[in-house]
Amino acid sequence: MQRHDATSGLPRAPELPRPGLGALRVLAWILVLGLVYAYGWRVTEINLVELATKWSLARPLLTDLLRPDLVARVPRVQLADAGVGLEGTPPPAPEVRRPAGQVTVTPASAAIGQPVTVTGSGFAPNRPVELIWKDQAGSEAPVGRLTTDAQGAFQTTLRVPEVIGTSNHVIARVTLEGTVLAPSNTLRLTFYRMIETVFLALMGTTMAVVFAVPLSFLAAKNLMSRSAFSLAVYFVMRTIFNIARSIEPLIMATVFAVWVGIGPFAGVLALGVHSIASLAKLYSEQIESIDPGPIEAITATGASMLQVVRYAVVPQIVPPFIAFTIYRWDINVRMSTVIGFVGGGGLGFLLIQYINLLQWRQAATAVWAITLVVAAMDYLSARVREKVV
Amino acid sequence: MRGAAVRIEHLTKVYPDGTRALSDITLSVAPGEFLVIIGLSGSGKSTLMRCINRLIEPTSGKVFVDDVEITALPPEDLRRARRQIGMIFQQFNLVKRATVLTNVLSGRLGYVPPAWALWGYFPRELREEAIRHLQTVGIPEKAHTRADQLSGGQQQRVGIARALMQDPKVILADEPVASLDPATSHSVLKYIEDLNRREGITVLCSLHFLSLARRYGTRVVALKAGRIVFDGLPREIDEHRFKEIYGEEAVEVEIA
Repeated sequence: MQRHDATSGLPRAPELPRPGLGALRVLAWILVLGLVYAYGWRVTEINLVELATKWSLARPLLTDLLRPDLVARVPRVQLADAGVGLEGTPPPAPEVRRPAGQVTVTPASAAIGQPVTVTGSGFAPNRPVELIWKDQAGSEAPVGRLTTDAQGAFQTTLRVPEVIGTSNHVIARVTLEGTVLAPSNTLRLTFYRMIETVFLALMGTTMAVVFAVPLSFLAAKNLMSRSAFSLAVYFVMRTIFNIARSIEPLIMATVFAVWVGIGPFAGVLALGVHSIASLAKLYSEQIESIDPGPIEAITATGASMLQVVRYAVVPQIVPPFIAFTIYRWDINVRMSTVIGFVGGGGLGFLLIQYINLLQWRQAATAVWAITLVVAAMDYLSARVREKVV
Repeated sequence: MRGAAVRIEHLTKVYPDGTRALSDITLSVAPGEFLVIIGLSGSGKSTLMRCINRLIEPTSGKVFVDDVEITALPPEDLRRARRQIGMIFQQFNLVKRATVLTNVLSGRLGYVPPAWALWGYFPRELREEAIRHLQTVGIPEKAHTRADQLSGGQQQRVGIARALMQDPKVILADEPVASLDPATSHSVLKYIEDLNRREGITVLCSLHFLSLARRYGTRVVALKAGRIVFDGLPREIDEHRFKEIYGEEAVEVEIA
């Protein structure tokens, strides 16, 4: 409402607040904020001195982060083996592929405690040989050390150790001069876990999609507002989704790790259950925002019910459904790292083990692998979503 | 009156919330007519259009298209009858993520074997026919563009091509130009007028602007609160009639 000046008829300028009061109010606010932050500073134990002076404590960790355990120098070796049958069993065939030399055991069928002669030939001359006994259960035990002669041959006698099973092997490992660069054990393990992580997220997401697609229709208001019953279903579904989404996947993973055992399956279940709720919510919102226009238009052409769904409904919901699903997969790859910390398998499981053993270089390998996978998924999902929508 | 393209007898529509959208409408449209329906928003124009192909079920009354009683048809026959009634919408109602060609071809869904359509297969002749209809409305080069990349006027022309794909005897145009600017409005209405003159397709078209009604209609029907308040030639609408249709406060706005 405008008040008019009686004499001029012009609108009167609004009254200015008194300057003193405004300044006081600002001062009061500053005081309150100051108190809040002072308390926050104390409660969170902020210590800038420590931050500035003790950085050297973190140096080994940080430098290790920059030199992850990727490759190892491994000695070059020559391998060959021979089978030994125990208790009357015929000797199994040698299992080293492309053997560097030849190994024979006589007699090839023996009993525990009986002496056998192991001869080898065709190896590098004058190099150390390690003899390994491998039993049927796959466990290996060193049974002798010797050196090849000038012709690359050796001979020794040993007693059959107490082993499990009847099909055994004697392996000769001749160490050569020099070393070769090979992917380190850590890198191999990390690579395997990396693939596990991606598939863990994929399986969890797939499981979620299978449930979320049908459920999302029950949680779409435009479809469910036709009767009191369907509206009740809608509210129940929404409530369940909201509750399921608010339970941290970390908690779910802990529960499932106890339920089905530590490992990727627990992770799949945790991510799956969590994703059902969030995907169903995204899907149902997409169904709610569907444009009825095309449905009306396609119906008007004389199309059948199925054709209307195929031509007016599917094009509206399928691309966003795919986009949401890939986005969810991307999120799940990220989440699976943390899930792994509590026994959900994948890279996270490996990382927490390295951290607990203070193996920083190995941990660094896992950290870099996580970074790589997450970045790659992020990029891929963004590209695919761009294409689809 | 037999032989009418569209015949409506005592049509009434009451919505579930009690709104009386149409009250006892009786109307007969001769083949080849360009009937313009005018009236304020909410006067029942859209409801009347949608009752003709039963996108909206009338409460009572009968609708005949080509002397077939649409209102008495079981679902499968209704589906077949709809094939010859093309419809053009204010919001174009295209499938935005699909290509223009797919949108035009979808006008043919009522004819093709269902399995073909589910796979998205349309034979070559149909695709060529779709391109021909796009040529008719002047945008053959847009066939493989996504529908949402087109301007409003172009989208409405795709809507016309889709209706043509039905090989219709009657076209229902529900405010086809209400979302378009004046120049585009004329170009779209000229395409519809062409179909009416050249192909002899009967057109029922609702419009907001009286100037457009005068320019394109061969006959004008005015609705007010669900009743027909005027039925005659465009030039018969004078100042007095105008106020009767649009209310005392209304001032006629020209559209160039």
